[in-house]
Amino acid sequence: MQKRINQNPLVVVLLLISQLVFAKQAWAGGPWFWLSSEPLAQVTVMEPFVEWRSGPAFGFPVFHVSEQGEKLELLIRKTKWMKVKDPKGHEGWIAIGDLMLMQDDSGAKVSLVEPRFDNFSTRRWEAGLMAGEFESTSVNSAYAGYWMTNNLSLELWGSQVLGNSSEIRILNLNVLHQPFPEWRFSPYLTMGAGKLFIKPKATLVNEGSRSEDTMNIGLGARYYIDDRYFVRMEVKDYKIFTNRKTNEEATEWKIGLSVFF
Amino acid sequence: MENWTQRILLKGALLGMLVANVLSIAVAAETDKPLIEPDVRPQVVDESLIDTENFELGTFAGVINIEDFESSLVYGARLAYHLSEYLFFEGNIAMAEGGDTSFETLGNVTLLTDSERDYRYYNFGVGFNLPGQLFFPGAYTFNTNFYLVGGIGATEFADDNRLTINFGGGYQVLVNDWLSVHFSVREHVYKIDLIGEEKNSFNTEISSGLSVFF
Repeated sequence: MQKRINQNPLVVVLLLISQLVFAKQAWAGGPWFWLSSEPLAQVTVMEPFVEWRSGPAFGFPVFHVSEQGEKLELLIRKTKWMKVKDPKGHEGWIAIGDLMLMQDDSGAKVSLVEPRFDNFSTRRWEAGLMAGEFESTSVNSAYAGYWMTNNLSLELWGSQVLGNSSEIRILNLNVLHQPFPEWRFSPYLTMGAGKLFIKPKATLVNEGSRSEDTMNIGLGARYYIDDRYFVRMEVKDYKIFTNRKTNEEATEWKIGLSVFF
Repeated sequence: MENWTQRILLKGALLGMLVANVLSIAVAAETDKPLIEPDVRPQVVDESLIDTENFELGTFAGVINIEDFESSLVYGARLAYHLSEYLFFEGNIAMAEGGDTSFETLGNVTLLTDSERDYRYYNFGVGFNLPGQLFFPGAYTFNTNFYLVGGIGATEFADDNRLTINFGGGYQVLVNDWLSVHFSVREHVYKIDLIGEEKNSFNTEISSGLSVFF
C-alpha cells in the first residue's frame, strides 16, 4: 500500500488537500475563516419525493432521495442548484425548480426571485464582452451598465483597437435607450462621449502617443437567450475631434455576450 | 391498624391527585395554551441570506511554447462566472518571457531587446462544462468537469499588440464546494510580422492551477 501511494504523488497531494479542506463537513459554504452566524433556512418537501445529486448539475448522479414531509436546511447555491442538508446530516444538491415546490416554515411556498429579462427589478446591472471591427481593424470591448429606469441605462465602455500601425484605447460613457424593454429581441439607441488614446507602433512611425476627444452615436439590439444572459450587437459611429483642420470619423460594429445581475 | 391508617392516607393522596388532575385539565381547557411558549418564529426563506457561489477566481502556472522563441514558464490569473451548470464566461491574464530563436543562438545576433521579449496576454471567452466524477481508492469521490473554452483577446509581444484567438480544453477536479484544481491545454493564435512577412504564430500552453468559488 505504502509503495502504491508513493508511486502516485499527485493522488497523495490531492488526498492531503481534501483531508485539509474537508476537515469538518459542518462549514456550510466555505472555509472556517468565512464566518457565518446566520441560522440556516429550512424547507419541507411537499412533493412525493425529491432527488439529490452529488453535484450542482444534471450530469452528476442521483445518490439519495428525500420523502414528503422531510425537512431540509439550505446551505449554498450554485447557478440553478441548492446544496441541502437533512436532519441525518446527509448533504447533496437539489434543483432550484424542485426547491420552488417546497414549503418554508411559515407554510408558504418557497419563493426565490429568478432573474427574468421581462422583470425589470431583477436586472439593474449588466456587463458584457464584445468583439468586432473599428474601421476594419479588430476591436475588443468590455462594458458595465446600470439601468436607471426600464428604458434608460448608463454604460461605461473600455475598448482596445489592435491595428497594424497603431493601438487605440477608447474609454466611453454612453446613455442608452431601449423603447421596448419587454421584447425578447429589444432594439436600442445610444449616444456617448469619451476619450481616445492612440499609440503608434514604434517600428513603423516616429510619432508619439496622443489622445483625442470623441463622441459617438449608435444603434443596436439585444437578444435574450436564457433568463440571465443575452447576445448583443451594435454599430457605432465615432466623431473624433483632432487638432488638425478636419475631424475624423470612424465606424465600429461589435457583437458579444452579456449577462445581467 | 396499620393497614387502616395506610388506607386512609393513600385514599387521601389519591383523592388529592384526582382533584389536582381535574383542576389542571379544567385550567388547560380554559386557556388552551402550551405550558412552554416556543421561542422560535416561523422562518421565511430569505434569498439574500443564502450564499451563492457563481464566481470562480484562480491562478495557474505552466509552460507556453512561443513560436520561434522557445518554451517558457507562463503564469496568470483566471476569473470565471458560471451562468448555468453548463455555460460559463471566463477571462484570463498571463505573462511569460520569450527565449532566443535558433537563428539568434547560431548566428550570435539579437532580434529583440529584453523588454521586447516580455510576453503578456489577456483573453475572454465562453466555456462549456461536461460534468463527471473521479474515483480514488479508499472511497474518495470527486466531482469533475471536463470543459471546452474558446475566446478572443490580445497578446503583447515583440513591441506589438495583436488580436489573439484562443481555444482549448481542461479538466477541473472539485475538491469540495469552494476549491478546485484545473489542468488545461490551450492554443493561442495571432499574426506576427517580426521578420517582415506576416504569419500566424501558434502558441500552445499547458498549465495547471487552483481556483476558489465565491
